[in-house]
Amino acid sequence: MRKLTMLVAVLALAIIPAAGAVAQSGEGQVTVVHGVPDLLVDVYVNGDLTIEDFEYGDVAGPLTLPAGSYDLEVYPADADPASSDPALAGSTDLPAGAYATIAAYLQEGGAPTLGVFVENNSNTDAGNARVTARHLADFGAVDVLANDGAVFEGVTNGLGGDADVPADTYNIKITAAGDANTVAFDADLPLAEGTNTIAYAIGSVAGGSFQVVTQTITGLQSAPGGVPTGTGGLSGTGTPAWLIAAMGLGLVALASGSALARREN
Amino acid sequence: MRRRFAAFLVAIGLILLVVLPAIWQLTRPESVFGDVAAIEESLRDTDSAVLPAETPDEPFEPAPGETGGEGAEGETSDTTAPVDPVPGGLPVGLRIGSIDVDAPIAPFGVDRRTGDMDVPNNVTEVAWYKFGPRPGENGSAVLAAHVDLASQGPGVFFDLNTLEPGDRVTVEYEGGEELVFRVTARITYEKTELPLDVIFSREGPTVLTLITCGGGFNRQVQSYDSNVVVYAVPDDGSSVPDQS
Repeated sequence: MRKLTMLVAVLALAIIPAAGAVAQSGEGQVTVVHGVPDLLVDVYVNGDLTIEDFEYGDVAGPLTLPAGSYDLEVYPADADPASSDPALAGSTDLPAGAYATIAAYLQEGGAPTLGVFVENNSNTDAGNARVTARHLADFGAVDVLANDGAVFEGVTNGLGGDADVPADTYNIKITAAGDANTVAFDADLPLAEGTNTIAYAIGSVAGGSFQVVTQTITGLQSAPGGVPTGTGGLSGTGTPAWLIAAMGLGLVALASGSALARREN
Repeated sequence: MRRRFAAFLVAIGLILLVVLPAIWQLTRPESVFGDVAAIEESLRDTDSAVLPAETPDEPFEPAPGETGGEGAEGETSDTTAPVDPVPGGLPVGLRIGSIDVDAPIAPFGVDRRTGDMDVPNNVTEVAWYKFGPRPGENGSAVLAAHVDLASQGPGVFFDLNTLEPGDRVTVEYEGGEELVFRVTARITYEKTELPLDVIFSREGPTVLTLITCGGGFNRQVQSYDSNVVVYAVPDDGSSVPDQS
C-alpha cells in the first residue's frame, strides 16, 4: 500500500500542470485495474508517470481527480516513453461526480486492450447492497449466479452489469453461458449494505491465469424511511383521556353547583 | 345546607377544570430539552458530494511517522470522540435505571415491504439497526423499541419521553463488557419531520440514539404521528449530575 501513497504524491504533481486546462467543475474518482497477465507496466496519465511497476491483478485507487480529459498510456515497466511506443493507449473524459474504472485487460482471443467503465454510483435503498460484474477475461460468454440463481446471463468480454440485492453473503459462481458444469469461479462474497462490490474477471481461462479481483465502494447507503414503534395508543404524550374526563366532570360539577345556587336565590 | 353544597360543587368543578390541568401541564415532562440542533448538525453529512471509498483487500497503512493510535487523539477537536476501545461484539442488553428498563437487544435491518427500519414483533425487545454503527462507534447508533402494541400493551420504551438530562443508559455487549451513556437531549419529531439522515448517520461524533413512537395517535390506522427521540453520549463521568 506504500505504493498507493507514493502514487497519490506523484499524481498531485501530475495534476497541477493540467489544472489550467481542466474546467474546475468538480471531481471524479478513478480506479485502475491491471488485467493483462505476465506484464509488469508503468502507467502514464497525461504524459506523467502515475503508477509504477503495476502488476497483473492489482487494483489501484480509487483516486480522486478533477473532472476533465485524460490521456492514458501503458508502457512495459521501466521503458522510456520518449524512445518507445506504449503497449496500450487511450483517452477518456472524467465527468464530475463520476466513478470510472480504467482497465487493461484481455479480449476474447487474448489481445490486450484498454477500457473505461462508468460505475453505477447512485445510492442503494436501505438494506441493499450492489454487486457489479465485469467480464474482462479471455473467455467466451458467461453467466453469473448468486446462490445458484442467475443474476447476469450471456455476458461477453468487455461487458458487465450491476444489480441491487439485499445485503448478505452470497455464493457467487461464474460459469460458461448456459453450461452450469463449466465453473470458472466459485466463492462466497459478503455484500455489505450501502456498498458496491465490483468484481472483475481477468486473465485467461485456457492459459490458467484466470482470476476474479474485487473492489468495494462504500458510502452509498440510504436511511430507512421511518421507525414504526407503536400501535396501541396508550402513550401519554398527548392530552390523556383521564384528564379530559376529569375536566368534563368538573364542568358538570360547576354547572350543577351554580344552578343549585341560583335556585336558592 | 344546600348553599354550602352548591359552593362545594363549584369548588370541585374549578379544581377539576382549572387546577388539575394546570398541575398536569406543569409536572409533565418537557417535550424537548438539550441542544438538538447542535447534535443534528454534527451528525449531518456535510461532505456527501465526494463519496468515501476503499479497497478492502489492501487496508491503508498510515504513512511513516503517523502511527495512529495515541497520536490520532489530537484530531477530535470539539466533537465527541469514539469510545476507545469500543467493546467487541454485538450489543445484547440495555438498562435504563430511571425508567426501569432492562431489556435484550437484537440486530434488525430493514423491512423490505415498507422500507422502514425493521422492529421486533414484541414489546419486550430492543432493536439495534445493524447496518449502522455499534453503540460507542462514530455516528448514530440506533436502538428502537415499541412504546406499545395494540395486541400486547405497553412496551419497553413506554416511558422514553420521561428521560431527563443526565440519566444513564447502559449497553451490554456479547462479551459481557458494558458502556455507559449519558442522556443529553430529547425531542418529539413529527414522523414527516424525522431527520432520517441524522438519526441513521454513520459518521460524526459518537451518539446513542433511542427512538420510539409518541405524540398524537390515529386510531383508524393504529399509528402515532410522532417519534420520541433521545440522544445520549458516552458518559465521561462529568458535567450533568445523574438525576435518576
